[in-house]
This record gives sequence, C-alpha cells and structure tokens, in this order.
Amino acid sequence: MSFIADSLRMAVALILSGDSDVTSAVGTSLSVALWSVLFASVAGVPIGVAVTLGKFPMKGAVRLVLNSLMAMPTVVIGLLVYGLLSRQGPLGSMGLLFTPRAIIIGQTILAIPVIANYTLSAIQGADERILPTARTLGASDAQSLFQLAREVRFGLVAAIIAGFGRVISEVGVAMMLGGNIRMYTRTMTTAIALETSKGDFAFGLALGLILIVVALAVNLFLTVAQEGPRA
Amino acid sequence: MSIAKYHLSSVQASYGKTLGVAIDDLSLSTGGLYVLVGPNGSGKSTLLGILAFLNKPDQGTVSFDGALVNWTRKECALLRQRVTLLHQRPYLFSGSVAGNVAFGLAARGAGKTMIQDVVNESLEKVGLSGFESRTARELSGGESRRVALARALACKPEVLLLDEPVANVDRASAMLFESLVVSRAAYGMTIVISTHDERLGARLGASVIYLEDGKLASPPEQLPFPPLPHHKEENHANS
Repeated sequence: MSFIADSLRMAVALILSGDSDVTSAVGTSLSVALWSVLFASVAGVPIGVAVTLGKFPMKGAVRLVLNSLMAMPTVVIGLLVYGLLSRQGPLGSMGLLFTPRAIIIGQTILAIPVIANYTLSAIQGADERILPTARTLGASDAQSLFQLAREVRFGLVAAIIAGFGRVISEVGVAMMLGGNIRMYTRTMTTAIALETSKGDFAFGLALGLILIVVALAVNLFLTVAQEGPRA
Repeated sequence: MSIAKYHLSSVQASYGKTLGVAIDDLSLSTGGLYVLVGPNGSGKSTLLGILAFLNKPDQGTVSFDGALVNWTRKECALLRQRVTLLHQRPYLFSGSVAGNVAFGLAARGAGKTMIQDVVNESLEKVGLSGFESRTARELSGGESRRVALARALACKPEVLLLDEPVANVDRASAMLFESLVVSRAAYGMTIVISTHDERLGARLGASVIYLEDGKLASPPEQLPFPPLPHHKEENHANS
C-alpha cells in the first residue's frame, strides 16, 4: 500500500511542479485529440445525416459497416494508416509517419464512425415533423437541415464528446503512428504505457490522474449536454 | 378568364400499394376559400402535401399560377416560399414564441426590424400579444396551435393550407381560426382547409371539395342530423 501511496504523492508533486515531460504529453494528447475530433466531426456529422435521411441503395449495409467500425481495434487502424504513411506506402513521400499529423489522421479515422453513429441516433430520435415544418415555412434544404441540427444539438454535442472520449483514451494509433517520441509525439496514454513498463510508476500515475480528470470532465460535459436546458 | 392558382390533372399519389389520392381534374382559383371534406384516409392530408409542394405526385401534372410544376428541389423550395401548410399537429421549434413566428421571415432574409413588427402583428392577430418571450414548448395545446397559425400568417403566403386546424381545439380558438381564415381570404389569400366537419364550408361560405378513397366525390345528398343528446336532456331534467 505504501508503494501506491508514495507513487501517488510523487505523482501529485510531478503535476504541481509542472514537469516538462508531463506538460508536453498532456499538451500533445489534447492537441491531437481536438484536431482529430474537429476533422472527424466535419466528416462524421454529414455522414450520419446522409445515412439517416438519404435514400440510396445498400443503406442497411452502410449502417452495418458504420456500426462495425465503432468496434474497430485501434491498433488495426494504426496498422492500416501505417501502411499508407510508411516509406513504401502510397503516401510515404509526404513524410508524415511519426509526426503528430499522423496521429491526427489515425484518430480522425477512429472517431468518424463514433460521431456518425451518434449523429444517426440523434436524428433518428428527432421529431419527424421538423423538416416538413421548416420546409413549408419557406426554408431551403440547407436552412431546414440547419434547423434540424439546431433541434438535435444536444445529441450532436454528445456525438462530438463521444468521439473525443474515444481518441483521448486510445493507445494503439498514437503508438504506431506517432512512435512515442519524447516531447514530440508522446501522448498521455503512450507515456503511461512506456513509463510504467520502465518502472517509473509515479510518472505513469501522474499522467493517469490527469487522464482521469480529462475523462471525467468530458463525461460531465456529456451529461450536461444530454440533459439539455432545464426549461 | 383568370388563371387558376392550382390546376391538377390526372394526379395520383400512392404509399406503397395504398392509393393516397387520384384526382382527374381540379382547379383552385386565386383568392378562393376551399374546404376539403372527407373521412379519415380519404386523402386530404396527401392532397395538401402535394399542394404544399412537399410531396411529389407519382403521376399527373400540377400547375401553379399557370406554370407547370417540374418538382425539382430548387423549384419546390421557391414555391414553398409562396405556400404555407399548417400541419394538423404543428411542431413548434425549441426556443421562444417570437423565434418560432420569425422563422419563415428569417428564412426569407427579412430584416430584424421588419421581423419584429410582423411577429408582434401576427401574435396580436391570434390573441397572443405578450407571448413573444415565452418558451414555445411550455404552451398549452390551443396556444401552440395559435402560435403555429401566427407563424404561418407571418410568412404572408399567397396560399395557406390548413390541415384539420380546428380538430381538438376549444370553441374560442376554433372561432378565432375561422374568423381569421375568412378575413385572410377577403385579402386575396387562397385558402384550403381540410376537415371532417361537413358544416364548416357553409359556415365560412367556402367552396366544398369532397374526397372519398382519394378521389373527388359528389356531396352527400343530405347531411345526417346529429344524434339527439338524450343523456344531456336527462341530466338537465334531473337537475
């Protein structure tokens, strides 16, 4: 027990001292996660809308694929993107492998199905009168869709937050595509895995505490967003 | 000879294998007041959906102001700025009453001052002055319908389509609806109302269109008298 208590004390001291390794890992994690979620939202929300409202062949199959992709192991996505970005890969000449950009690409792919599925659920649960009402009041298709998004905004926020939760906590993509390079591509999760395996439990615990705080903050925001206004 | 607002020719719309409407020939004149009468499932709402340019018919042609409707997305969006449908169970958007009434005007790019004036004027017409900042979702059923009517009137459409506007509303709201409809028709707005109430047409001085199984039908020869309210009389007698 004293080992854990000592480690916890050291972890708190590390956080309070503003250790550069800790702050770098936290900064990299938040930075790549936010960019990934931004890109994944730009792609995932329209995909969710299109799959819900669109009329096209194989719609059921597309939904099945989206659902399946939600459970895709992060290392598999890391492996596939690694193949694309490695020197022998089709995008190897861009020199993206082992950079934060590579992590962003992988995490974006990871978050898109999550955000698309949550968007799909939000729109499916919306009142079916929203679009006809907006249209009959003279709104264009774009204005009607915007109004629909406004009506289901809490569901959309939940989708984005769920995507963020998926990428902030993953290890596989960050490890394989970022390479866990100190002060560059090392994220909280890859640092925890590395430092714990090296025996530096206190460092791992410090980052673990921060990760838990971030995850809790995300969940808190998610809960508040889902509850909506208390009108 | 004036051009009809709508002319429908051999129009047919189905839901899977179920026939929605099948109308050989129907003209609605500009500024006319029409009442669509028919039982449940007679095609009233389907016809209103076509007239509102929300639903494209499977067959036939529809002309609006003498121009053939091609049913392209762009054309329908433009036509819907001239025609407004008030649904049987109107949906009020989240937010304030004023935001709801302003929706159609904002969609048309109206200025802030104009929107405010029209919102106030429309709410006054439906007897809801002072409701501007109220939360739309907190209104009673009757108030919600009035807000929906104010929202439709605020758009100042050339055609106002009303799907069962007085079903399940209190008598005062029903009378308000009817007087507003008659006054709008007097200003040249083409109005089509669907209803089960066979007497509504006579009350409003409207042309009555009968629908049965999706087809235009002849008016019933004699309206049945309502059953005598025996139980009420007994109650009165006892009191």
